[in-house]
Amino acid sequence: MKLNVLMWLAALLAVFLPHPADCRPDDAPASRRPLLPRPLLLHLGEEFSLRLGGGVGSSSAAPALLSSSTTSSSSSSSSAVNRALLQLTQRLLQARAEQQEEEEGEEEEKGKRSDEPPISLDLTFHLLREVLEMARAEQIAQQADSNRRMMDAFGK
Amino acid sequence: MSVALRTQLFLFLISLSSRMGLSRYIEDNEASDGLYSLLTLDQKRESEDFIFRRPLRCLDMLATDGYFTFVASQPQLACAAFIIAEPSEVISLELSDVNIDCSAGDFIKVFDGWVLKGEKFPSRQDHQLPLHQRYTDYCSSTAPGATSRSSQNVAMIFFRIHSPDSGFTLAVKKLHNPFPCNIMSQSPEGSFTMVMPHQRRNCSFSIIYPVEIRLTELSLGQAKSNELSPQRQVWSGCSGSGDYVELLGGNGVDTSKMFPVADLCFSLSGLAQMKIGCDNSVVRLVSSGNYINRVSFQYRLLEHHELPKTRENSLDNFCAVE
Repeated sequence: MKLNVLMWLAALLAVFLPHPADCRPDDAPASRRPLLPRPLLLHLGEEFSLRLGGGVGSSSAAPALLSSSTTSSSSSSSSAVNRALLQLTQRLLQARAEQQEEEEGEEEEKGKRSDEPPISLDLTFHLLREVLEMARAEQIAQQADSNRRMMDAFGK
Repeated sequence: MSVALRTQLFLFLISLSSRMGLSRYIEDNEASDGLYSLLTLDQKRESEDFIFRRPLRCLDMLATDGYFTFVASQPQLACAAFIIAEPSEVISLELSDVNIDCSAGDFIKVFDGWVLKGEKFPSRQDHQLPLHQRYTDYCSSTAPGATSRSSQNVAMIFFRIHSPDSGFTLAVKKLHNPFPCNIMSQSPEGSFTMVMPHQRRNCSFSIIYPVEIRLTELSLGQAKSNELSPQRQVWSGCSGSGDYVELLGGNGVDTSKMFPVADLCFSLSGLAQMKIGCDNSVVRLVSSGNYINRVSFQYRLLEHHELPKTRENSLDNFCAVE
């Protein structure tokens, strides 16, 4: 009887104990992005709600924050900022619908301008192939050198 | 043992095994050391001391790992270095010892892909990131010396340096990519197999030479059920079905601006070949994500006398194909 109870307990523990959700091997540490700390998110939320009281001040705050979110490199921090921004825009929509549309139009224009490719090289295909062949020759020479060093190392 | 006890024991064992779930991850079995694992630690350290270094030129193509240093002897206003790796590799770039004056108009920008004459490879439709995220500007990024990783086997770096004796060092490393998509071929001859496992992506294999392409194997759908009846003939439009292979030809690197030369939407086991006399020949695999698609092909350079003849008095801006 006791054995039965013990076995069932152990089975329940085994099922409900937390186990790693992901079986993948660890990613390189460089790919881990730091999470935005919670207090900062709350601070942002408070800042928005404080600025809502002011008339023109609240609408001018939104474009600056929207543009900063697009250039933010960390995706988790930008998603946290986006969440705060979502709350802000919902409140602004209730208060001033027209000004909100204007801000969105401004943001789209800024986005389109940044989409334009700033630089390009006017290289002909012929020149590109020449340079590619030079690079290939260099790679083959480098591989031959590395093979020679490996053979030397084994020879010792 | 009584039946009740046995059943309880089995239930117990089954509940234990519920902890060990089935998981799938891509295990890279290619040991990067290879034969080096046979060496002793001292010998390994000796051989690793050697890192390839050379100066970077204003117009350059890099195909090896190493450290490339650019030092401006005169103001260089339009410089670019193309970086290319093997098809199943991606490129990791890192800037170090950067000595430029961002306020004077100097910049270093890393692009995830190649830009040639305003056209981008991979095209906007084929790349997973939006265009502004494919550029990494050293002057405006907050973390100096950050590593950027390309999504395919090509990358490039644009730089402009005004004052002499300014410069930077670029570290190039190659990383393995188990399912390559969007590949630029390094050589005009070779063969490749492109696999798209259950992903809704369009992948292009681009060869910047006029080549003859032979499709040796095409499998659209699950490997088991290869009995797809040909619903359409070869060389007629396939865009109705979800998964197909198309051959493109054109004079730029942007695959969305190239002309489709042929479509194939049923599995074949024989040879299908085509001569594409264009500056850029592309094999593109369009996948809906419902199946595992695989296409194998070989390609070889077309000699000058083998190039398809252009039609006389032709107004098309299209390179000849046969």
